[in-house]
Amino acid sequence: MIEARGLSKSFNGRRACWDLSFEVGKGEVFGLLGPNGAGKTTTLRMLAGLYAPDAGEAQVAGCAIAAGAPGGAELRRRVGLLTESPGFYDRLTALENLLHFARLYGLPRADAEARARRLLDRFQLHAQGDRLFAELSRGMKQKLAIARALLHGPQVVLLDEPTVGLDPEATREVRATIAELAADRTTLVLCTHDLDEVERLCSRAAFIAGQLLAVHAVGRHGPAALRVRVSLTAPHAAAVSRVAALPQVAEVRAEGTELHVNLRAADAVPEVVAALCAAGARVEAVHPHRDALEESYLSLLAQARERGLL
Amino acid sequence: MKGALEIVRKELLELRRSPLLLASMLSLPATVVAVPVALLAWLAHAAPPQALEFVQELYRVPAQGGPFAALVAALARNWLPMFLVLPVFLPILIAAQSIGGERERRTLEPLLATPVSTLEIILGKSVAALVPAILITWIAAALFCLGVDLVARPRLGSAPLPDADWLFATFVLSPLLALFGNALAVVVSARVVDPRAAQNLAATTVVPLLGLLVVQLAGRISLGLRFYLGLAAGAAAADVLLVALAVRLFDRERLLTKWR
Repeated sequence: MIEARGLSKSFNGRRACWDLSFEVGKGEVFGLLGPNGAGKTTTLRMLAGLYAPDAGEAQVAGCAIAAGAPGGAELRRRVGLLTESPGFYDRLTALENLLHFARLYGLPRADAEARARRLLDRFQLHAQGDRLFAELSRGMKQKLAIARALLHGPQVVLLDEPTVGLDPEATREVRATIAELAADRTTLVLCTHDLDEVERLCSRAAFIAGQLLAVHAVGRHGPAALRVRVSLTAPHAAAVSRVAALPQVAEVRAEGTELHVNLRAADAVPEVVAALCAAGARVEAVHPHRDALEESYLSLLAQARERGLL
Repeated sequence: MKGALEIVRKELLELRRSPLLLASMLSLPATVVAVPVALLAWLAHAAPPQALEFVQELYRVPAQGGPFAALVAALARNWLPMFLVLPVFLPILIAAQSIGGERERRTLEPLLATPVSTLEIILGKSVAALVPAILITWIAAALFCLGVDLVARPRLGSAPLPDADWLFATFVLSPLLALFGNALAVVVSARVVDPRAAQNLAATTVVPLLGLLVVQLAGRISLGLRFYLGLAAGAAAADVLLVALAVRLFDRERLLTKWR
């Protein structure tokens, strides 16, 4: 659905990003990870047809982007963009704002209204439809912005920092919304520096620091899913040996009542628990290993600094 | 052009819900109409004959009809440039905010992310600024003519306004000047980041017209139909150039990246 080849962009002689190449498949949730100023938003704006790359080319939802040619109206029609700030008109109601953008996307009047109301319902904003945008909470505004990005039924949705500046409750709501979209097999590119968000929502993530550092599988597709921490009620040496003997287990390390297990397959957790119970151990909890992405990220950032990219 | 129409609809809806902006748009025309009509009414009842003769002499108005007729003719002729300032000034109040305001409210990026073309954005923003400006100017001109006629008719026996100059200025020159003010404001707004700076810069275009008004009020010049015909031709040529320039200067990428 997205194929970027060597995308580069500079502003006033300062390179924002260069030689970016990656692919995003249909229905995939792809993360763009990087620190502030890494070129994530610039990349997203090139994919949305707002910036023309200085070099390189891309195909987004079947539309071409080339050096000096940002992609035209057809590209913008096929892409939904969640901008960094919601960007609505304060004196218009939530529904009026959605209708305005629906018409700008060329939807017929009746269709625009039906879609806008359906999206307000979907994001639990139906009761806010007649309220002025200025009166909505931050979380509501952000959900409304996500609704706008979906109004015209885009083939690709680009989300720029969807939870930045939101309180925990609003963050949770917005993440649930994105998870719903992912479940609907919408092709999503999520631009963020929140590792937890990437871990929860994405299947792969590109690490960017001006240039592409790496692309990793994440979440249940990534290396983190192959590492679990098992808490036992008491140390149990025999149980450790039994787990280590399982063919699905690559390595086991015991630290008191905690077992750190490296799996060969992400779906082997039930076998591990069964082996422990069969050996007489009592399992208190099984935790996914959440630090793998962070370790990769920090290591890549350190390398980027050594190479003078940051 | 559906995108342009939608932008016009949204802009007018926003304008209707902005009482302060509406009030600022109406205050100048109200003053431009009320002050001279009130002054004329006062002079008609209270001014000594010598004062009216002084006006007749200062503005070199022909003697037929007497000093009061001369006063009415001088007012009609000398105050007309003020009604040319209105259609330039009023759209600037809206248009200078058009692009800069979108940028300040962070609505520019979502707008540019839609399939709407550059021409549609400029056209939509321009029409939304022009329509209220021209309507307000026409209503103000009609009220001024009505006020002058109400005061003058009992003494002159006929309604002096609107004459040919006024009809031409109102229906031909005003729209051309409004388009000029608006196009200039869009050009400035597209290049100057701060909407307040854009408004102030664009507003300087009324200075030459105000200068003409002052010089004419001082009795140094007397503008007539020939001058207004020339002004109309100049404004029409400037309009074509400015609209072409506005479309050329409207750089979508630059609008998102330039913050200084």
